[in-house]
Amino acid sequence: MKPFTYVVPQSLAEACEASQKPNTLLKGAGIDLIDRMKERLQTPEQIVNLLPLKDELAGVAVEANGELRIGALTTLTQLEQHQALAAPAFDGLRLATGMTATPQVRNRATVAGNILQFTRCWYVRSEAFHCLHGGRGPTCLAMTGENRYHSVLGWSDCVRVHPSNLAPPLLALDAEYSTRLGDKVRRRKFSELFPADPRAQNPEHTLEAGEIVTAIHVPAQPAGTRSAYCESREKLTFDWATTACAVRLVLAGGVITAANLVLGAVAPVPLPREKASALLVGQKPSAALFAKVAEMAYAGASPLAHNDYKLTIGKAIVRQALDEAVR
Amino acid sequence: MTVPPDRGVSRRSFLKGSAVAGIATTGITAAAHATAPSKPASFGPGEHEIVLLVNGKERKVKVETRTTLLDAVRDGLDLTGAKKICDRGACGGCTMLLDGETITSCLTLAMDAVGHELQTVESLSDGDKVHPLVQNFVHCDAMQCGFCTPGMVMSSLACLQKRGKPTDAQMRHDLSGNLCRCGTYGRVMEAIQRTAVGGGK
Repeated sequence: MKPFTYVVPQSLAEACEASQKPNTLLKGAGIDLIDRMKERLQTPEQIVNLLPLKDELAGVAVEANGELRIGALTTLTQLEQHQALAAPAFDGLRLATGMTATPQVRNRATVAGNILQFTRCWYVRSEAFHCLHGGRGPTCLAMTGENRYHSVLGWSDCVRVHPSNLAPPLLALDAEYSTRLGDKVRRRKFSELFPADPRAQNPEHTLEAGEIVTAIHVPAQPAGTRSAYCESREKLTFDWATTACAVRLVLAGGVITAANLVLGAVAPVPLPREKASALLVGQKPSAALFAKVAEMAYAGASPLAHNDYKLTIGKAIVRQALDEAVR
Repeated sequence: MTVPPDRGVSRRSFLKGSAVAGIATTGITAAAHATAPSKPASFGPGEHEIVLLVNGKERKVKVETRTTLLDAVRDGLDLTGAKKICDRGACGGCTMLLDGETITSCLTLAMDAVGHELQTVESLSDGDKVHPLVQNFVHCDAMQCGFCTPGMVMSSLACLQKRGKPTDAQMRHDLSGNLCRCGTYGRVMEAIQRTAVGGGK
Protein backbone atom coordinates (compact mmCIF):
# COMPACT_ATOMS: atom_id res chain seq x y z
CA MET A 1 0.00 0.00 0.00
CA LYS A 2 1.12 3.55 -0.72
CA PRO A 3 0.99 5.94 2.24
CA PHE A 4 -2.16 8.04 2.66
CA THR A 5 -3.80 10.49 5.01
CA TYR A 6 -6.55 8.92 7.13
CA VAL A 7 -9.47 11.18 7.97
CA VAL A 8 -11.85 10.44 10.84
CA PRO A 9 -15.07 12.43 10.31
CA GLN A 10 -17.42 13.09 13.23
CA SER A 11 -20.50 13.55 11.07
CA LEU A 12 -21.81 12.77 7.62
CA ALA A 13 -21.44 16.46 6.73
CA GLU A 14 -17.75 16.31 7.62
CA ALA A 15 -17.31 13.14 5.59
CA CYS A 16 -18.98 14.80 2.61
CA GLU A 17 -16.73 17.82 2.88
CA ALA A 18 -13.56 15.77 3.27
CA SER A 19 -14.47 13.58 0.32
CA GLN A 20 -14.42 16.58 -2.03
CA LYS A 21 -10.63 16.72 -1.90
CA PRO A 22 -9.02 15.30 -5.06
CA ASN A 23 -7.61 11.77 -4.98
CA THR A 24 -9.76 10.84 -1.99
CA LEU A 25 -11.48 7.51 -1.49
CA LEU A 26 -14.21 6.63 0.97
CA LYS A 27 -13.74 3.54 3.10
CA GLY A 28 -16.27 1.40 4.97
CA ALA A 29 -14.72 -1.80 6.33
CA GLY A 30 -12.27 -1.65 3.43
CA ILE A 31 -12.46 -5.39 2.63
CA ASP A 32 -12.33 -4.77 -1.12
CA LEU A 33 -10.50 -1.44 -1.00
CA ILE A 34 -7.53 -2.59 1.15
CA ASP A 35 -7.14 -5.57 -1.16
CA ARG A 36 -6.94 -3.26 -4.19
CA MET A 37 -4.61 -0.85 -2.39
CA LYS A 38 -2.26 -3.73 -1.57
CA GLU A 39 -2.21 -4.55 -5.28
CA ARG A 40 -1.52 -0.83 -5.99
CA LEU A 41 -4.62 -0.68 -8.16
CA GLN A 42 -5.72 2.25 -5.97
CA THR A 43 -3.27 4.77 -4.62
CA PRO A 44 -5.35 7.47 -2.92
CA GLU A 45 -3.70 10.38 -1.14
CA GLN A 46 -6.53 10.50 1.36
CA ILE A 47 -8.93 7.93 2.83
CA VAL A 48 -12.08 9.08 4.59
CA ASN A 49 -12.99 6.41 7.13
CA LEU A 50 -16.77 6.16 7.33
CA LEU A 51 -16.83 3.65 10.20
CA PRO A 52 -17.14 6.35 12.93
CA LEU A 53 -20.53 7.19 11.35
CA LYS A 54 -21.99 3.80 12.24
CA ASP A 55 -24.46 5.35 14.69
CA GLU A 56 -25.94 7.29 11.81
CA LEU A 57 -25.41 4.91 8.92
CA ALA A 58 -25.68 1.36 10.29
CA GLY A 59 -28.59 -0.79 11.35
CA VAL A 60 -31.82 -2.17 9.94
CA ALA A 61 -35.17 -0.51 10.71
CA VAL A 62 -38.74 -1.07 9.63
CA GLU A 63 -40.30 2.31 8.79
CA ALA A 64 -43.90 3.30 9.54
CA ASN A 65 -44.95 2.44 5.97
CA GLY A 66 -43.48 -1.05 6.28
CA GLU A 67 -40.42 -0.17 4.25
CA LEU A 68 -37.12 -1.72 5.30
CA ARG A 69 -34.31 0.79 5.75
CA ILE A 70 -30.87 -0.81 5.65
CA GLY A 71 -28.07 1.53 6.73
CA ALA A 72 -25.15 1.57 4.32
CA LEU A 73 -22.66 0.57 7.03
CA THR A 74 -24.73 -2.35 8.35
CA THR A 75 -22.50 -5.41 8.36
CA LEU A 76 -23.54 -8.47 6.40
CA THR A 77 -23.77 -10.45 9.65
CA GLN A 78 -26.13 -7.84 11.14
CA LEU A 79 -28.26 -7.87 8.00
CA GLU A 80 -28.46 -11.65 7.80
CA GLN A 81 -29.43 -12.02 11.44
CA HIS A 82 -31.93 -9.16 11.64
CA GLN A 83 -35.42 -10.37 12.50
CA ALA A 84 -36.98 -8.20 9.79
CA LEU A 85 -35.35 -10.48 7.23
CA ALA A 86 -37.04 -13.57 8.65
CA ALA A 87 -40.17 -12.98 6.50
CA PRO A 88 -40.47 -15.25 3.41
CA ALA A 89 -40.45 -12.17 1.17
CA PHE A 90 -36.82 -11.59 2.21
CA ASP A 91 -35.57 -15.20 2.02
CA GLY A 92 -33.57 -14.36 -1.11
CA LEU A 93 -31.85 -11.36 0.41
CA ARG A 94 -31.09 -13.21 3.65
CA LEU A 95 -29.67 -16.26 1.88
CA ALA A 96 -27.57 -14.15 -0.49
CA THR A 97 -26.11 -12.29 2.48
CA GLY A 98 -25.28 -15.47 4.39
CA MET A 99 -23.59 -17.04 1.36
CA THR A 100 -21.19 -14.16 0.93
CA ALA A 101 -17.50 -14.81 1.59
CA THR A 102 -16.69 -16.03 5.14
CA PRO A 103 -17.90 -15.36 8.69
CA GLN A 104 -14.79 -13.20 9.24
CA VAL A 105 -15.56 -11.06 6.19
CA ARG A 106 -19.31 -10.84 6.89
CA ASN A 107 -18.57 -9.61 10.42
CA ARG A 108 -16.77 -6.58 8.93
CA ALA A 109 -18.03 -6.07 5.39
CA THR A 110 -20.78 -3.50 4.92
CA VAL A 111 -23.90 -3.65 2.78
CA ALA A 112 -22.82 -0.68 0.65
CA GLY A 113 -19.32 -2.11 0.32
CA ASN A 114 -20.68 -5.40 -0.99
CA ILE A 115 -22.80 -3.61 -3.58
CA LEU A 116 -20.08 -1.17 -4.67
CA GLN A 117 -17.16 -3.59 -4.80
CA PHE A 118 -14.88 -3.78 -7.80
CA THR A 119 -15.05 -6.70 -10.20
CA ARG A 120 -12.99 -9.79 -9.36
CA CYS A 121 -11.72 -10.26 -12.94
CA TRP A 122 -8.19 -11.57 -12.48
CA TYR A 123 -6.81 -9.46 -15.29
CA VAL A 124 -7.99 -6.10 -13.99
CA ARG A 125 -7.14 -7.13 -10.41
CA SER A 126 -3.48 -7.61 -11.28
CA GLU A 127 -1.41 -4.56 -12.10
CA ALA A 128 0.80 -6.73 -14.31
CA PHE A 129 -1.93 -7.14 -16.93
CA HIS A 130 -2.54 -4.28 -19.34
CA CYS A 131 -6.30 -4.52 -19.47
CA LEU A 132 -8.87 -2.12 -20.86
CA HIS A 133 -11.15 -1.84 -17.81
CA GLY A 134 -8.15 -1.01 -15.63
CA GLY A 135 -7.16 1.74 -18.09
CA ARG A 136 -3.84 0.01 -18.60
CA GLY A 137 -4.19 -1.39 -22.09
CA PRO A 138 -6.07 -1.38 -25.40
CA THR A 139 -8.17 -4.55 -25.11
CA CYS A 140 -10.07 -6.83 -22.74
CA LEU A 141 -7.59 -9.60 -22.02
CA ALA A 142 -10.25 -11.91 -20.58
CA MET A 143 -12.18 -11.90 -23.85
CA THR A 144 -9.51 -14.01 -25.51
CA GLY A 145 -7.75 -15.31 -22.40
CA GLU A 146 -8.72 -17.29 -19.30
CA ASN A 147 -12.40 -16.47 -19.08
CA ARG A 148 -14.18 -19.28 -17.27
CA TYR A 149 -15.49 -16.90 -14.60
CA HIS A 150 -16.48 -14.12 -16.98
CA SER A 151 -19.63 -12.81 -18.66
CA VAL A 152 -22.01 -14.69 -20.90
CA LEU A 153 -24.59 -11.91 -21.21
CA GLY A 154 -24.78 -8.16 -21.69
CA TRP A 155 -21.11 -7.52 -22.44
CA SER A 156 -19.60 -5.38 -25.17
CA ASP A 157 -15.89 -4.49 -24.90
CA CYS A 158 -15.23 -5.89 -21.38
CA VAL A 159 -16.36 -9.27 -20.07
CA ARG A 160 -15.98 -8.67 -16.31
CA VAL A 161 -18.80 -9.86 -14.06
CA HIS A 162 -20.43 -7.94 -11.25
CA PRO A 163 -19.48 -9.74 -8.02
CA SER A 164 -22.11 -8.51 -5.53
CA ASN A 165 -24.33 -11.10 -3.86
CA LEU A 166 -26.71 -8.49 -2.51
CA ALA A 167 -27.39 -6.61 -5.74
CA PRO A 168 -29.55 -9.28 -7.50
CA PRO A 169 -31.98 -9.83 -4.58
CA LEU A 170 -32.21 -6.07 -3.91
CA LEU A 171 -33.06 -5.45 -7.58
CA ALA A 172 -35.65 -8.24 -7.43
CA LEU A 173 -37.23 -6.54 -4.39
CA ASP A 174 -37.47 -3.16 -6.24
CA ALA A 175 -35.12 -1.54 -3.72
CA GLU A 176 -33.99 2.10 -3.81
CA TYR A 177 -30.86 3.76 -2.51
CA SER A 178 -30.15 7.11 -0.89
CA THR A 179 -26.95 9.06 -1.31
CA ARG A 180 -25.45 12.29 -0.15
CA LEU A 181 -23.12 14.41 -2.23
CA GLY A 182 -22.13 17.65 -0.51
CA ASP A 183 -25.47 19.07 0.68
CA LYS A 184 -27.46 17.19 -1.93
CA VAL A 185 -29.54 14.22 -0.76
CA ARG A 186 -30.89 11.92 -3.45
CA ARG A 187 -32.99 8.77 -3.56
CA ARG A 188 -33.14 6.67 -6.72
CA LYS A 189 -34.18 3.28 -8.07
CA PHE A 190 -31.58 0.64 -7.29
CA SER A 191 -31.13 -0.11 -11.00
CA GLU A 192 -29.72 3.41 -11.49
CA LEU A 193 -26.76 2.49 -9.33
CA PHE A 194 -25.36 0.39 -12.19
CA PRO A 195 -24.27 1.67 -15.62
CA ALA A 196 -26.85 1.18 -18.39
CA ASP A 197 -23.94 0.66 -20.77
CA PRO A 198 -21.36 -1.34 -18.81
CA ARG A 199 -18.45 -0.96 -21.16
CA ALA A 200 -14.83 -1.03 -20.05
CA GLN A 201 -14.53 2.73 -19.56
CA ASN A 202 -17.48 2.81 -17.15
CA PRO A 203 -16.98 1.95 -13.51
CA GLU A 204 -19.00 -0.73 -11.70
CA HIS A 205 -21.42 1.88 -10.36
CA THR A 206 -22.76 5.30 -11.31
CA LEU A 207 -21.85 7.23 -8.13
CA GLU A 208 -20.07 10.55 -8.54
CA ALA A 209 -16.73 11.18 -6.84
CA GLY A 210 -17.39 11.80 -3.15
CA GLU A 211 -21.01 10.63 -3.30
CA ILE A 212 -21.82 8.57 -0.21
CA VAL A 213 -24.46 5.83 -0.18
CA THR A 214 -26.33 6.29 3.09
CA ALA A 215 -29.08 3.67 2.98
CA ILE A 216 -30.87 1.01 0.95
CA HIS A 217 -34.67 1.02 1.05
CA VAL A 218 -36.69 -2.12 0.43
CA PRO A 219 -40.41 -1.42 -0.05
CA ALA A 220 -43.02 -3.32 1.96
CA GLN A 221 -43.85 -6.47 0.01
CA PRO A 222 -47.46 -7.46 -0.79
CA ALA A 223 -49.02 -10.47 0.95
CA GLY A 224 -48.04 -13.69 -0.80
CA THR A 225 -44.56 -12.48 -1.73
CA ARG A 226 -41.92 -15.18 -1.87
CA SER A 227 -38.30 -14.85 -2.81
CA ALA A 228 -35.24 -17.02 -3.28
CA TYR A 229 -31.57 -16.74 -4.16
CA CYS A 230 -29.47 -19.57 -5.54
CA GLU A 231 -25.98 -19.64 -6.91
CA SER A 232 -23.58 -22.12 -8.48
CA ARG A 233 -20.00 -22.11 -7.25
CA GLU A 234 -17.00 -24.41 -7.16
CA LYS A 235 -16.87 -24.71 -3.38
CA LEU A 236 -19.75 -25.03 -0.89
CA THR A 237 -18.53 -22.03 1.10
CA PHE A 238 -15.90 -19.31 0.85
CA ASP A 239 -16.28 -18.86 -2.90
CA TRP A 240 -17.59 -16.54 -5.58
CA ALA A 241 -20.69 -17.44 -7.55
CA THR A 242 -20.19 -18.72 -11.09
CA THR A 243 -23.86 -17.98 -11.75
CA ALA A 244 -26.57 -16.60 -9.47
CA CYS A 245 -30.31 -16.04 -9.65
CA ALA A 246 -32.57 -13.99 -7.40
CA VAL A 247 -36.33 -14.20 -7.81
CA ARG A 248 -39.25 -12.49 -6.19
CA LEU A 249 -42.76 -13.80 -6.87
CA VAL A 250 -46.17 -12.74 -5.63
CA LEU A 251 -48.57 -15.68 -5.42
CA ALA A 252 -52.34 -15.29 -5.16
CA GLY A 253 -54.63 -18.31 -5.25
CA GLY A 254 -51.88 -20.49 -6.69
CA VAL A 255 -51.19 -18.06 -9.54
CA ILE A 256 -48.10 -15.89 -9.96
CA THR A 257 -49.32 -12.30 -10.14
CA ALA A 258 -45.94 -10.53 -10.19
CA ALA A 259 -42.38 -11.66 -10.82
CA ASN A 260 -38.87 -10.25 -10.85
CA LEU A 261 -35.99 -12.42 -11.96
CA VAL A 262 -32.43 -11.10 -11.76
CA LEU A 263 -29.19 -12.85 -12.74
CA GLY A 264 -25.88 -12.32 -10.98
CA ALA A 265 -22.26 -13.24 -11.80
CA VAL A 266 -22.95 -13.64 -15.52
CA ALA A 267 -22.75 -10.04 -16.81
CA PRO A 268 -20.85 -6.80 -16.09
CA VAL A 269 -23.87 -5.63 -14.07
CA PRO A 270 -26.53 -7.47 -12.05
CA LEU A 271 -29.01 -8.27 -14.79
CA PRO A 272 -32.82 -8.05 -14.48
CA ARG A 273 -34.45 -10.38 -17.04
CA GLU A 274 -37.78 -8.75 -17.85
CA LYS A 275 -38.88 -11.16 -20.60
CA ALA A 276 -38.25 -14.18 -18.39
CA SER A 277 -40.14 -12.49 -15.54
CA ALA A 278 -43.06 -11.71 -17.85
CA LEU A 279 -43.42 -15.40 -18.74
CA LEU A 280 -44.21 -16.14 -15.09
CA VAL A 281 -47.00 -13.62 -14.61
CA GLY A 282 -50.54 -15.05 -14.76
CA GLN A 283 -49.23 -18.64 -14.68
CA LYS A 284 -49.38 -21.45 -12.15
CA PRO A 285 -45.95 -22.70 -11.05
CA SER A 286 -44.86 -25.83 -12.89
CA ALA A 287 -41.63 -27.54 -13.90
CA ALA A 288 -42.44 -26.95 -17.57
CA LEU A 289 -43.01 -23.24 -16.98
CA PHE A 290 -39.80 -22.86 -14.97
CA ALA A 291 -37.80 -24.65 -17.69
CA LYS A 292 -39.19 -22.20 -20.25
CA VAL A 293 -38.36 -19.25 -17.98
CA ALA A 294 -34.80 -20.54 -17.47
CA GLU A 295 -34.30 -20.74 -21.25
CA MET A 296 -35.62 -17.19 -21.63
CA ALA A 297 -33.38 -15.92 -18.81
CA TYR A 298 -30.33 -16.96 -20.84
CA ALA A 299 -31.78 -16.10 -24.26
CA GLY A 300 -29.31 -14.16 -26.37
CA ALA A 301 -26.29 -15.30 -24.34
CA SER A 302 -22.85 -15.03 -25.92
CA PRO A 303 -20.54 -17.33 -23.98
CA LEU A 304 -16.78 -17.09 -24.32
CA ALA A 305 -14.28 -19.87 -25.08
CA HIS A 306 -14.20 -21.28 -21.53
CA ASN A 307 -17.54 -20.43 -19.95
CA ASP A 308 -20.39 -21.96 -21.91
CA TYR A 309 -20.89 -24.22 -18.87
CA LYS A 310 -22.48 -21.14 -17.27
CA LEU A 311 -25.50 -21.51 -19.57
CA THR A 312 -26.17 -25.10 -18.49
CA ILE A 313 -25.58 -24.47 -14.79
CA GLY A 314 -27.17 -21.03 -14.87
CA LYS A 315 -30.47 -22.36 -16.24
CA ALA A 316 -30.51 -25.08 -13.57
CA ILE A 317 -29.92 -22.41 -10.93
CA VAL A 318 -32.85 -20.36 -12.30
CA ARG A 319 -35.10 -23.42 -12.04
CA GLN A 320 -33.83 -24.13 -8.52
CA ALA A 321 -34.47 -20.54 -7.41
CA LEU A 322 -38.03 -20.67 -8.80
CA ASP A 323 -38.65 -24.06 -7.17
CA GLU A 324 -37.44 -22.74 -3.83
CA ALA A 325 -39.52 -19.58 -4.12
CA VAL A 326 -42.78 -21.51 -4.55
CA ARG A 327 -41.94 -24.33 -2.16
CA MET B 1 23.96 -33.55 21.48
CA THR B 2 23.85 -30.36 23.44
CA VAL B 3 21.49 -27.53 22.79
CA PRO B 4 23.20 -24.87 20.66
CA PRO B 5 24.11 -21.74 22.62
CA ASP B 6 21.95 -18.65 22.42
CA ARG B 7 22.81 -16.84 19.22
CA GLY B 8 22.47 -13.46 20.86
CA VAL B 9 20.29 -11.32 18.65
CA SER B 10 17.43 -13.15 16.96
CA ARG B 11 15.60 -11.61 14.02
CA ARG B 12 12.59 -11.13 16.23
CA SER B 13 14.34 -9.39 19.12
CA PHE B 14 16.19 -7.22 16.61
CA LEU B 15 12.92 -6.10 15.02
CA LYS B 16 11.39 -5.47 18.42
CA GLY B 17 14.35 -3.37 19.52
CA SER B 18 14.38 -1.22 16.41
CA ALA B 19 10.65 -0.56 16.73
CA VAL B 20 10.98 0.57 20.36
CA ALA B 21 13.84 2.90 19.46
CA GLY B 22 11.62 4.83 17.08
CA ILE B 23 8.57 5.47 19.24
CA ALA B 24 7.34 9.04 18.97
CA THR B 25 5.43 10.97 21.58
CA THR B 26 2.25 11.76 19.66
CA GLY B 27 -0.44 9.22 20.42
CA ILE B 28 -4.07 8.68 19.62
CA THR B 29 -6.56 6.74 21.65
CA ALA B 30 -10.29 6.17 21.54
CA ALA B 31 -10.69 9.36 23.56
CA ALA B 32 -8.93 11.41 20.89
CA HIS B 33 -11.67 10.40 18.45
CA ALA B 34 -14.40 11.60 20.75
CA THR B 35 -12.92 14.98 21.59
CA ALA B 36 -12.10 16.15 18.07
CA PRO B 37 -13.29 19.67 17.17
CA SER B 38 -15.58 20.42 14.22
CA LYS B 39 -12.77 19.74 11.78
CA PRO B 40 -12.31 15.99 11.22
CA ALA B 41 -9.24 14.44 12.81
CA SER B 42 -6.62 13.54 10.28
CA PHE B 43 -3.65 11.20 10.66
CA GLY B 44 -0.62 10.25 8.65
CA PRO B 45 0.66 9.56 6.14
CA GLY B 46 3.72 9.19 8.42
CA GLU B 47 4.14 7.14 11.56
CA HIS B 48 2.32 7.85 14.79
CA GLU B 49 1.42 6.03 17.95
CA ILE B 50 -1.97 4.49 18.63
CA VAL B 51 -3.35 2.60 21.59
CA LEU B 52 -4.87 -0.80 20.96
CA LEU B 53 -6.81 -2.72 23.57
CA VAL B 54 -5.24 -6.15 23.14
CA ASN B 55 -6.21 -9.12 25.32
CA GLY B 56 -7.52 -6.76 28.00
CA LYS B 57 -4.45 -4.51 28.12
CA GLU B 58 -3.87 -1.11 26.56
CA ARG B 59 -0.85 -1.41 24.30
CA LYS B 60 0.89 1.45 22.55
CA VAL B 61 2.06 0.69 19.05
CA LYS B 62 3.60 2.79 16.35
CA VAL B 63 1.88 2.48 13.00
CA GLU B 64 1.44 4.17 9.65
CA THR B 65 -2.12 4.76 8.47
CA ARG B 66 -1.60 1.97 5.95
CA THR B 67 -0.46 -0.59 8.56
CA THR B 68 -2.85 -3.50 8.83
CA LEU B 69 -4.01 -4.70 12.22
CA LEU B 70 -2.20 -7.98 11.56
CA ASP B 71 1.13 -6.23 10.91
CA ALA B 72 0.68 -3.93 13.91
CA VAL B 73 0.06 -6.88 16.22
CA ARG B 74 2.75 -9.15 14.79
CA ASP B 75 5.54 -6.67 14.12
CA GLY B 76 4.66 -3.90 16.57
CA LEU B 77 3.50 -5.92 19.57
CA ASP B 78 5.42 -9.14 18.90
CA LEU B 79 2.24 -11.19 19.16
CA THR B 80 3.06 -13.52 16.33
CA GLY B 81 0.38 -16.16 16.90
CA ALA B 82 -1.84 -14.89 14.10
CA LYS B 83 -0.29 -15.86 10.79
CA LYS B 84 0.15 -13.80 7.64
CA ILE B 85 -0.54 -16.34 4.92
CA CYS B 86 -2.52 -14.95 1.99
CA ASP B 87 -2.73 -11.37 3.31
CA ARG B 88 -5.95 -10.95 1.27
CA GLY B 89 -8.71 -12.34 3.50
CA ALA B 90 -8.71 -15.59 1.56
CA CYS B 91 -7.38 -18.09 4.13
CA GLY B 92 -8.38 -17.19 7.71
CA GLY B 93 -4.84 -17.60 9.09
CA CYS B 94 -4.92 -14.10 10.61
CA THR B 95 -8.27 -14.52 12.39
CA MET B 96 -8.63 -12.45 15.59
CA LEU B 97 -11.69 -11.42 17.56
CA LEU B 98 -12.66 -7.76 17.42
CA ASP B 99 -15.39 -6.96 19.95
CA GLY B 100 -15.95 -10.71 20.20
CA GLU B 101 -16.44 -11.30 16.47
CA THR B 102 -14.00 -13.06 14.15
CA ILE B 103 -12.30 -10.82 11.62
CA THR B 104 -9.52 -11.12 9.06
CA SER B 105 -6.92 -8.81 10.57
CA CYS B 106 -5.03 -8.60 7.26
CA LEU B 107 -7.96 -6.68 5.71
CA THR B 108 -8.43 -4.40 8.73
CA LEU B 109 -6.42 -1.24 9.19
CA ALA B 110 -4.79 -0.96 12.61
CA MET B 111 -6.34 2.52 12.88
CA ASP B 112 -9.81 0.99 12.52
CA ALA B 113 -9.26 -1.14 15.64
CA VAL B 114 -8.63 1.85 17.94
CA GLY B 115 -11.31 1.93 20.63
CA HIS B 116 -12.31 -1.69 20.09
CA GLU B 117 -11.47 -4.82 22.08
CA LEU B 118 -9.06 -7.10 20.34
CA GLN B 119 -8.46 -10.71 21.33
CA THR B 120 -5.61 -12.74 19.85
CA VAL B 121 -4.67 -16.39 20.24
CA GLU B 122 -2.05 -15.39 22.84
CA SER B 123 -4.90 -14.68 25.27
CA LEU B 124 -5.49 -18.43 25.52
CA SER B 125 -2.28 -19.26 27.33
CA ASP B 126 -0.64 -18.09 30.52
CA GLY B 127 2.79 -19.68 30.69
CA ASP B 128 2.24 -23.42 30.75
CA LYS B 129 -1.45 -23.03 31.52
CA VAL B 130 -3.58 -23.11 28.39
CA HIS B 131 -7.27 -22.67 27.65
CA PRO B 132 -9.22 -25.97 27.49
CA LEU B 133 -9.81 -25.40 23.77
CA VAL B 134 -6.07 -25.32 23.14
CA GLN B 135 -5.62 -28.39 25.35
CA ASN B 136 -8.26 -30.16 23.26
CA PHE B 137 -6.56 -29.19 19.99
CA VAL B 138 -3.53 -31.04 21.39
CA HIS B 139 -5.57 -33.95 22.75
CA CYS B 140 -7.45 -34.43 19.46
CA ASP B 141 -4.30 -33.91 17.35
CA ALA B 142 -6.24 -31.19 15.53
CA MET B 143 -3.29 -29.90 13.57
CA GLN B 144 -0.62 -31.12 11.24
CA CYS B 145 1.67 -28.40 9.91
CA GLY B 146 0.06 -25.98 12.37
CA PHE B 147 0.05 -22.91 10.16
CA CYS B 148 -3.72 -22.47 10.07
CA THR B 149 -4.07 -23.46 13.72
CA PRO B 150 -4.03 -20.02 15.45
CA GLY B 151 -6.79 -18.79 13.13
CA MET B 152 -8.66 -22.07 13.45
CA VAL B 153 -8.48 -21.80 17.26
CA MET B 154 -9.92 -18.27 17.21
CA SER B 155 -12.82 -19.25 14.94
CA SER B 156 -13.43 -22.26 17.17
CA LEU B 157 -13.41 -20.01 20.24
CA ALA B 158 -15.96 -17.67 18.66
CA CYS B 159 -18.09 -20.67 17.72
CA LEU B 160 -18.07 -21.94 21.33
CA GLN B 161 -18.76 -18.49 22.78
CA LYS B 162 -21.70 -17.96 20.45
CA ARG B 163 -23.21 -21.46 20.43
CA GLY B 164 -22.30 -23.16 23.69
CA LYS B 165 -22.72 -26.69 22.36
CA PRO B 166 -22.54 -26.24 18.58
CA THR B 167 -23.98 -28.78 16.16
CA ASP B 168 -21.92 -30.14 13.26
CA ALA B 169 -23.66 -27.76 10.86
CA GLN B 170 -22.94 -24.79 13.13
CA MET B 171 -19.27 -25.74 13.42
CA ARG B 172 -18.98 -26.12 9.65
CA HIS B 173 -20.59 -22.71 9.25
CA ASP B 174 -18.40 -20.98 11.80
CA LEU B 175 -15.17 -22.57 10.55
CA SER B 176 -15.98 -21.96 6.88
CA GLY B 177 -13.59 -19.00 6.73
CA ASN B 178 -10.51 -20.99 7.75
CA LEU B 179 -8.65 -23.11 5.23
CA CYS B 180 -6.50 -26.05 6.32
CA ARG B 181 -4.31 -27.53 3.63
CA CYS B 182 -3.61 -30.60 5.77
CA GLY B 183 -7.33 -31.32 6.09
CA THR B 184 -7.63 -31.34 9.89
CA TYR B 185 -11.22 -30.07 9.90
CA GLY B 186 -12.70 -33.24 11.41
CA ARG B 187 -10.32 -33.16 14.35
CA VAL B 188 -10.83 -29.44 14.87
CA MET B 189 -14.53 -30.17 15.21
CA GLU B 190 -13.73 -32.95 17.69
CA ALA B 191 -11.68 -30.47 19.72
CA ILE B 192 -14.57 -28.01 19.77
CA GLN B 193 -17.02 -30.70 20.84
CA ARG B 194 -14.68 -31.91 23.57
CA THR B 195 -14.37 -28.34 24.87
CA ALA B 196 -18.14 -27.86 24.77
CA VAL B 197 -18.68 -30.80 27.11
CA GLY B 198 -16.02 -29.64 29.56
CA GLY B 199 -12.99 -31.61 28.37
CA GLY B 200 -9.42 -30.35 28.58
CA LYS B 201 -9.72 -28.59 31.92
